[in-house]
Amino acid sequence: MAWEHILTEILLWFGLYSIVAISLNIEYGYAGIPNFGRALAVLIGAIAVGGITNRILIAIFNVTGSFAVASGIVKTTVNEIVANNPIFGISLMLISLVIAGILGVIVGAIFILPSAKLSEDYLAITLLAISEVAFMVSYYNPEIIGGYYGVSTPDFFAFVSGEYRVFVFMGVILFVALIVYLFAERLLNTPYGRILKAMRENEDVVKSYGRDIMFLRIKTVAIGSGIASLAGALYSMFTANVIASSFSRVEWTFYPFLMILLGGLGNNRGVLMGVLAFVVAKVLLTTYKYEISAALNLPFEAVWLEYILFGVVAILILYYKPEGLIKEKPIVTKPIRERKSFK
Amino acid sequence: MTVVEGAIIYANLVVLLAMGLTLTYITTAVPNFAQGSFAVFGSYVALTLLRLFKIHPYHSIPVCFIFGGLLGVLTYVTILRPLIKKEASIVTLMIATLAWDLILLGVMGAYSGYLSHVTKKPAIKYIFTPYDFTLLGFPAILFVSSLTILLTLLGLFILLYKTKFGVALRASMENPDLAEIMGINVEHTRLFSWFLSGSLSGMAGCLLPFKQEIVPGTGAIIIVTIFAASIVGGLSSVVGALLGGYIVGISESLITYELSLIFGAEVLVYSKVVSLIILVVTLLIIPKGLVSLRWRKWLGSIS
Repeated sequence: MAWEHILTEILLWFGLYSIVAISLNIEYGYAGIPNFGRALAVLIGAIAVGGITNRILIAIFNVTGSFAVASGIVKTTVNEIVANNPIFGISLMLISLVIAGILGVIVGAIFILPSAKLSEDYLAITLLAISEVAFMVSYYNPEIIGGYYGVSTPDFFAFVSGEYRVFVFMGVILFVALIVYLFAERLLNTPYGRILKAMRENEDVVKSYGRDIMFLRIKTVAIGSGIASLAGALYSMFTANVIASSFSRVEWTFYPFLMILLGGLGNNRGVLMGVLAFVVAKVLLTTYKYEISAALNLPFEAVWLEYILFGVVAILILYYKPEGLIKEKPIVTKPIRERKSFK
Repeated sequence: MTVVEGAIIYANLVVLLAMGLTLTYITTAVPNFAQGSFAVFGSYVALTLLRLFKIHPYHSIPVCFIFGGLLGVLTYVTILRPLIKKEASIVTLMIATLAWDLILLGVMGAYSGYLSHVTKKPAIKYIFTPYDFTLLGFPAILFVSSLTILLTLLGLFILLYKTKFGVALRASMENPDLAEIMGINVEHTRLFSWFLSGSLSGMAGCLLPFKQEIVPGTGAIIIVTIFAASIVGGLSSVVGALLGGYIVGISESLITYELSLIFGAEVLVYSKVVSLIILVVTLLIIPKGLVSLRWRKWLGSIS
């Protein structure tokens, strides 16, 4: 396979996974909330595109028929309009992203509610259970995002010719990832960001200063979910076809955890490095999976090997390098910087 | 298999798994996210014995017990103990069990491919129902699963309350530090709890294919039920797991069935939603589970 293809694939997934990993870093790295249900927020992003934007378009163009059939018709209609009218396509994309973000924030705030007061283990169990059940429901129910059949969505960049489409998407995804990165960096150096780290280190101290832990947790997971849901929306727009089975726990909860552990908790630059290392390994594995199977003469699919490999890597990191590639640095606030420059 | 029979069989298996989860939670203080895969591991042991040696799954229950136990010990010794020695946080341990779950999924997926390659029979997706027989007008699995539960409970009772090791075990579950001062080797009790947790799950896994279809990823689906059952009972009580297992197991089957009578057969696939709702309601009303309720006080006020 051509190296250009591999490179674009790597950059594309680097952008998508950076968004999710940074969102998880805000929740787990900064605030110490073990969100084992990250995949839910990504799924919500897909629902925003495949389930909501699609339905809005169906209503606007007054298409009748079942959801799957109507989305197919709308796809053709919208693609034709977008091909001649780029602004329509771009505004549809922006609207979808806004819907995804808002929906992600709302769902994030609701899904942590039952366990917001409880200790970490209960929190992790409940978030995982909710995410797993939501995945199951959207997989079995074809009315949400087409279930196991999937649903096609319009190509918001239909005005770009086929060969350049992937590059345009790569640019958009990397741009969103950059904004998310800058936002997370800024967020860390605000009173809110610092209280999150304080909460991670010692909840009782934060409580004694009159802060409400439950509220902080809800707010943080809401922000994190809003960001992660952007990744789900972008991914769905890129594939122009939403299938619930592509939002599994392994891909969107476990792998992001692996990336932030690899890069270094609470440290966005490290997280980006972790994402890059992971994505390079993953894309190469996926690209050459048939070659690997053939070379090792495996009587099974190479995806199982991928699971074993990444599982082992995660455990090795936890044991040998729990601080990750780049260690977390203390926050440099403005007064601290000024004092340093005096010396 | 009628609906009520199916519900009881399923609940029996959920109880085994939930008891396994709470046993290790009590001694090691980490919820084992790989508990579902422990069960699927048991299913694959039974499938291997069936396909390669033509051993009926009911006869391979003891083998599943032992192999499951060894898997539990392996989990503790290779994954958790090194991390606990480094004083890793609970979240780190949870991520480690999540990673272990993924490794087990990969291993079982690869093994299922290998097994179907060797035996030329499906191993990626299988069910044991054709191997079951009828006993006194009921499917045999109903008796076998109930008997397994009874023997397990009897065994646990004798072990915990009638032996010296049981006293040590209970002591180190209640207060590990104090037990250690009294000269009890907490390490042994931990190892033992992981063996028991694995072996109970192994037995459950051996019987699970009589109730539902097994794929390598089944563990990810049943883990929701296991967690719901354990939390409803109170995560740190074996008796609670027994209660919670029956409540969640039976209501998951029966409520879904009742709903399917009203809304049609398509709601049958959403059985896990029932477990999740029970879990959420428990967390909102009695977060520490059924065993945290002061039953004596309640009963006292009634009488």
